[in-house]
Amino acid sequence: MSEKKPKILIITTNHSSYPGANAVGQAHLSYDSNTYIIRVPDPVMFPENFYMKAFEKGIAGIIIMSSGSDCPYEGAYDRLSKRIQNVYNLMKGKNIPINRLKLTTICTVCREAFIKEISDMEKVVAK
Amino acid sequence: MSKENQKEENAVNESYRQKPKVAVYVCHCGGNISDVIDVKRVAAELSKYPNVAISREYAFMCSSTGQDFVVDDIKNNGINRVVIAACSPFLHELTFRGALNRAGLNPYLYEHVNIREQSSWVHKNDKEGATLKAISLVKAGVEKILRQDPLNSIRVEALHSVAVIGAGIAGLRAALSCAENGLDVTIIEKSDSIGGNLRRSGNIYPTGEKASSIPENLSKKVLSMKNVKIYTQAEISFVGGYVGNFQLNVKKSDGNFEKVKAGAIIVATGFNHYIPHEGEYGWKKSTFVLTLPQFNELLEQSAGSEIEIEGKKIKSVAFMHCVGSRQIDGIDKPGKNGKVNDYCSRICCTAIIHSANRLKEKFPYVDVFDIYTDMRTYGMHHEKYYKDASKNDVIFFRRPLEERPVVEIGSDSIKIKTKDVLTMNEEMEIEADVLVLGTGIVPNDISDLVEYLKLPRGSDSFLQEVHPKLRPVEVSNNGIFIAGTAQGPMDVMETLQAANTAAVKAAALLSSPDIPLDPFVAVVDEDKCTGCGLCLAECSYSGALTMMEKEVNGKKKKVAVVNPALCKGCGACVAVCEPRAINVAGWTLDQFDAMVEAIAKE
Repeated sequence: MSEKKPKILIITTNHSSYPGANAVGQAHLSYDSNTYIIRVPDPVMFPENFYMKAFEKGIAGIIIMSSGSDCPYEGAYDRLSKRIQNVYNLMKGKNIPINRLKLTTICTVCREAFIKEISDMEKVVAK
Repeated sequence: MSKENQKEENAVNESYRQKPKVAVYVCHCGGNISDVIDVKRVAAELSKYPNVAISREYAFMCSSTGQDFVVDDIKNNGINRVVIAACSPFLHELTFRGALNRAGLNPYLYEHVNIREQSSWVHKNDKEGATLKAISLVKAGVEKILRQDPLNSIRVEALHSVAVIGAGIAGLRAALSCAENGLDVTIIEKSDSIGGNLRRSGNIYPTGEKASSIPENLSKKVLSMKNVKIYTQAEISFVGGYVGNFQLNVKKSDGNFEKVKAGAIIVATGFNHYIPHEGEYGWKKSTFVLTLPQFNELLEQSAGSEIEIEGKKIKSVAFMHCVGSRQIDGIDKPGKNGKVNDYCSRICCTAIIHSANRLKEKFPYVDVFDIYTDMRTYGMHHEKYYKDASKNDVIFFRRPLEERPVVEIGSDSIKIKTKDVLTMNEEMEIEADVLVLGTGIVPNDISDLVEYLKLPRGSDSFLQEVHPKLRPVEVSNNGIFIAGTAQGPMDVMETLQAANTAAVKAAALLSSPDIPLDPFVAVVDEDKCTGCGLCLAECSYSGALTMMEKEVNGKKKKVAVVNPALCKGCGACVAVCEPRAINVAGWTLDQFDAMVEAIAKE
């Protein structure tokens, strides 16, 4: 289990997906340890080059677990979605497969969805 | 400014310009962390990391001894940045901010790294991987705190008034407690009268008193308070503002609008009884199939020696538990929201047994049957009701959770067919004159309010607190509290306790002339700001960000200016600022870049 695996960065939100990640722990479910969770008020704060720099530094996959339509910040999710489209274009330009960046929505109790997103990204970064 | 606030601000000026000296503390959390993660190795690795002056591990960092380590190291060893690797920051962030404050260090010069919920608990079978991950995460925490500026709480003026939404017993109790604490209270009730569901609930446990006496007593007291205003048949059409200064637009019964201002809001919107689907256990197929509230009303109204429905003497009554509760996907029909109610409504078992006992006490000749799933008469002395029911010759049948009894409506009686676990799954046929459905509790439809206040809801659609034990009446939105059954099934005692708690929290919040808020809002580096205005176009909150001409380094220039009371700290403005002149305090892009760098490193 402890062999070195490509690292996955998981960006979570204070309001929903970070408590969601806690809920996964509280339920004592499990996922691989090559996953690194950081929390932000909202991922809308990251410019396109934040993701590109993370890939350059060696992060293999990034999952943005947003609050989706339940986002408490007005208009933030729409802005984030548009920004991620720009990142996909930049990734294509650098020949980075776009499935290494995933924008998804995770709520405070979305335990199964949380595990599934990680499992899907594990398959992507293993290729 | 209070002494505490002054102390906090003084600490800012003294600590942050010094050379960083970071202390790292790795918590065992009993064995919750250390059974999986090699905490000694994490501490040893971090002791070699640049700028880390002290690295320790300890059994319980949240204990007073653990906190004392932090305080002593700050006071005696010159520590000016702290990283604690432990449980979720949502549990103990405030605990450790308090410790820093006591030591005279700015409370925000501390980073909390979660190595329990998001590491030891989820990587139990990979101790090496969990340990390596913890090391990387703590290093990232150190990188973040090295780039952290000291922050001061934002202070917003607080109105000494509370808006209570809902006038059931939770709303009335909360309103009364707030008013007794000197706050001005406005109660906003959707229906045409106050008192809520309890006005129609018959006789209640544990006191055996008439349910309606509780809202009646509360109403009298509330109405006698000069600082309480009540609007009935009133609907909220908009909520604006923020903690300390909310504005609620209320449409009154006469069609006119009233603006209600409040420093805090208590949501006490209550519950509804589950209404069975037509045909569910014979519902609507016979006038002799009643819900528990209907039966309780009948029981209280029945005088004399006999209980009757439509002139027919009732000789036998069967009670059915878990109607609309503990439903199973694929077996039970979903509700309007497309979901089944898979939760336990908690109070029905005791309420049913209480009614069965009342029935036997009032009309001893009636045969009583009780068809239950699991007998959950929880609560102080409530087991007694179950024992009393056995003594009262109530006959119990325990049905399997995943099988539904079949109800056949006959011309003269109702037949209930069920398996009985107590007799090794024997098929039973129970014949009764009346079937009482122990209907569960469902949340009221408050979709509009949820939208206006951005209230979090759980998967069961009840309002969700921040933490069931540590912050049981708070939601993630500052200044908004929840009281009573809007949060989940509760009995009368629990409802009143929750309402009192919410009122105390609101009163404590509004006890000072101003309220301290987290300082995590946008801040502008005026030197870097080019005045391009791109950030302004990204901001969704009117007045939170403006462009102003200011004198910077002796020259006049246009710069972005943040109103911290209106800024929500989302960071939408941050992403479009190429020179990184605008950031969310405590969550800067430089900090995140450094964290990712630390995580990505082998």
